[in-house]
Amino acid sequence: MNKQEVFEVVVRTTREVLPDLEEHNFTFNDRLVDLGADSVDRAEIISMVLENLSLSIPRVELTSVKNIGELTEALYAKLQSA
Amino acid sequence: MVYPGIEAINVFGGTAYLDVMELAKHRNLNTARFENLLMKEKAVALPYEDPITFGVNAAKPIIDSLSEAEKNRIELLITCSESGIDFGKSISTYIHHYLGLNRNCRLFEIKQACYSGTAGLQMAVNFILSQTSPGARALIIATDISRFLIAEGGDALSEDWSYSEPSAGAGGVALLVGEQPLVFHVDVGANGYYGYEVMDTCRPAPDSEAGDADLSLMSYLDCCEQTFLEYKNRVPGVHYKDTFQYLAFHTPFGGMVKGAHRTMMRKLLKAKSDEIEIDFTQRVKPGMTYCQRVGNIMGATVLLSLASTIDHGYFDTPKRVGCFSYGSGCCSEFYSGIVTAQGQERQRKFRIEQHLNERYRLSLGEYETLFTDNGTVRFGTRNARLDFQLIPGVFASSSGKQRLYLEEISEFHRKYRWIS
Repeated sequence: MNKQEVFEVVVRTTREVLPDLEEHNFTFNDRLVDLGADSVDRAEIISMVLENLSLSIPRVELTSVKNIGELTEALYAKLQSA
Repeated sequence: MVYPGIEAINVFGGTAYLDVMELAKHRNLNTARFENLLMKEKAVALPYEDPITFGVNAAKPIIDSLSEAEKNRIELLITCSESGIDFGKSISTYIHHYLGLNRNCRLFEIKQACYSGTAGLQMAVNFILSQTSPGARALIIATDISRFLIAEGGDALSEDWSYSEPSAGAGGVALLVGEQPLVFHVDVGANGYYGYEVMDTCRPAPDSEAGDADLSLMSYLDCCEQTFLEYKNRVPGVHYKDTFQYLAFHTPFGGMVKGAHRTMMRKLLKAKSDEIEIDFTQRVKPGMTYCQRVGNIMGATVLLSLASTIDHGYFDTPKRVGCFSYGSGCCSEFYSGIVTAQGQERQRKFRIEQHLNERYRLSLGEYETLFTDNGTVRFGTRNARLDFQLIPGVFASSSGKQRLYLEEISEFHRKYRWIS
C-alpha cells in the first residue's frame, strides 16, 4: 500500500466517524481537532484506521502526530515494518 | 475450598453535588459536544470533607451492619487513593480509628492512580485465599477527591483538558471482603493484568493534576483490549459477549466508556452499530448510572460502576460481571465475578441511590465560593479550623444522617467530628 492509499483509508475512516465531513476536501495539513473531532472521536478514528489497515500496534504509539499528514506518515512507516 | 469475594459494598457519593451541564455552559464549553460525554452530575468535596471523611462515610454503614465479633475479624484495612494527605502516615490509620476497628489489623495505603481500588480488592482476595488467618476479613476503602486546581503552564495540556473539571468528582467506595461473598463471588484466577510506563495523566504536585487527554484515552483503549486478551488466555472458552451478562468499566466519563465498548465490540465480535447500541444499553448502562451522578472518583470508580451494576441489573439467575480497571501511568486489569438476586437484595439495604438523591444541590455561585474564600485545605496544612456553616443549606439536607466531617487540623493532626 502506498502513502496515498493510506491517506485515503484515513479520510474514509474519518468520514465514517464524522459523516458531516462527506464534502470536505481533506489535505495533509488538516488536524482532526479542527475538523470537529473530540478526543473520543479521535481515539475511534485511530482504532478503526488500525483495523482497516490490519495493523496491530499500540494506539499510544500514534499520539504524537500533529495532523493527518503526520498520521499517514506514521501509519505508512508502521506498515513497512509490519 | 475457600470462596473469596465481596460481602458488602457501600458508596458515599458526596454531601453536595453540581449539575455539570450548568457548569459546562458557565465555562462556555461546546454544549453539543458536551452531551456526547454523557455526564450528568458530580459530587463536590466541601472544604470540611477529605479522603478520610469520604472513606469513613462509605464504610460506616457496612461496619454498623456487623456484629461486634464480626467487626473484630477485620484484620486488613487498605485505603486506595491518589488523594493522600501525607507522604508517610496513611489515610487508613484515621479511618481505622473513626470506625473503631480492632487493633490487630494491618493498616496501609496503596496508590496507582485509578487502578488503586482494584489493586486493593485483589490484595484482599489473595489474603482470604491464602488462609493465613482463617475467618479473617478485609476492609478495602477506595477514596478520592479532586479539588481540580489544574497544574498551570506547559504546552502538553490539550484543550480537552478543560473537560476534566466537569468530570472530576469526589467519593468513596468501601468493600468488605471475606469468605461469604454474597454480593460478588470472585472468579479466582480469572484476571488479565497489563501495565507499562506511560505519562498520560498524573498528579505531579500537591493539589493539582495534569494530563494529555488523547494519550490517556489511547492507553485506556490499548489496555481494555490487552487485559481482555490476557484474561482469555487464562480462562478457556471465554467470549466477550456471552460470558459476561454485565460489564463494569472504569468510567472517567460516560462517553469514554461508550467509545471503549464500541471499539471492543467491533474489534472482537465484528458487531455492527445497532447491535453495539443494544448491547451497550443491556450490559454497560446499568453500571454507568452512579458514575454519571458522582463523576470520576479515580481509584473508586470501577467499584462504583460495580455497585451500580449490582443495584440496576436483573439477576433472576446468577450473572457474571466483567470489570475493567485502568489507572494512568499505567496499570490495568480485567476480572470478573458472579452476582445473585440475594446479593442484590443485601446491597439494596444500603440505599445508595436514595442517598445520592438526597444530596445538596450546589448553585454555581456556591460552587465557586468553595474555591475563592480560601476554604480549601491544601496539602501540608499545619493548622486550620473548618467552617461547617460555609454553605448553610448543606447541613439541613443531611440532617438525621450520621456523617463524619473534618473539624480542625492542629499541628498537622486532623480531628474529625460525627454530625447527625
